[in-house]
Amino acid sequence: MKFKVTENENISTVFLNGEIDMDIADNVREVIFPLIDAGKEVHLNLKDVQYMDSSGISVLVESNQRAKEKNTKVELKEVSQPVEKVLAMARKFL
Amino acid sequence: MSTENSDQTNLSEKKDFLVNSSSLKDVRSFSREVFEKFKINEDLREELVLAIAEAAQNIVKHAYKDYPDTQDRMAVRISCTDKELEISFFDKGKPVEKSKVKHRAIDDVKPGGLGTFFIQEIMDSIKFKEGDKPWINNLVLTKKL
Repeated sequence: MKFKVTENENISTVFLNGEIDMDIADNVREVIFPLIDAGKEVHLNLKDVQYMDSSGISVLVESNQRAKEKNTKVELKEVSQPVEKVLAMARKFL
Repeated sequence: MSTENSDQTNLSEKKDFLVNSSSLKDVRSFSREVFEKFKINEDLREELVLAIAEAAQNIVKHAYKDYPDTQDRMAVRISCTDKELEISFFDKGKPVEKSKVKHRAIDDVKPGGLGTFFIQEIMDSIKFKEGDKPWINNLVLTKKL
């Protein structure tokens, strides 16, 4: 997985790339969680993520929960079509 | 990857993989290759790939929960007729307790529970069988085409 982080005042935008599965999920946590813990508002750009499974969704849910605990927030800014399909299915469950 | 039957109306491909999370991308690649070969509807392909990957992930996470460094292999077989797709998984891990296979409560979202939910959403049927030797578990997913 490749990623890029840009900073704009208190907002960190994380651009993720490739396929996010169980094998990659911890790497994604290692990128996002320190930003949340630092009190940053985190924007996730998933336009170049071609595949995401339940492990990836769990990272999003955990990130959101962690952000609430830290009085900040995580927002999805751009989402690829394959990821949007998985999110739509996950929303029935969440 | 082995082709078990070349009859165009009853296609079948099987491949085995190391039981490890790093194999999941190979499981997806195999599935995509087979669906391309079987000419499965493109709109359906990625959903099926997700269901297959989630089932394989469940083997890694649950059947081999206590054996992260196992050298065991799991097998995936994709069979297709004109009317139905059948996807079978074979592993030698901890036997599945069918009563425990369910998605989790709404406020307890974890990969296993959500993954099982995805499989149920995508596939028409899910059956757990005892695997013929040397296998222990045999999960069979079907989808009408």
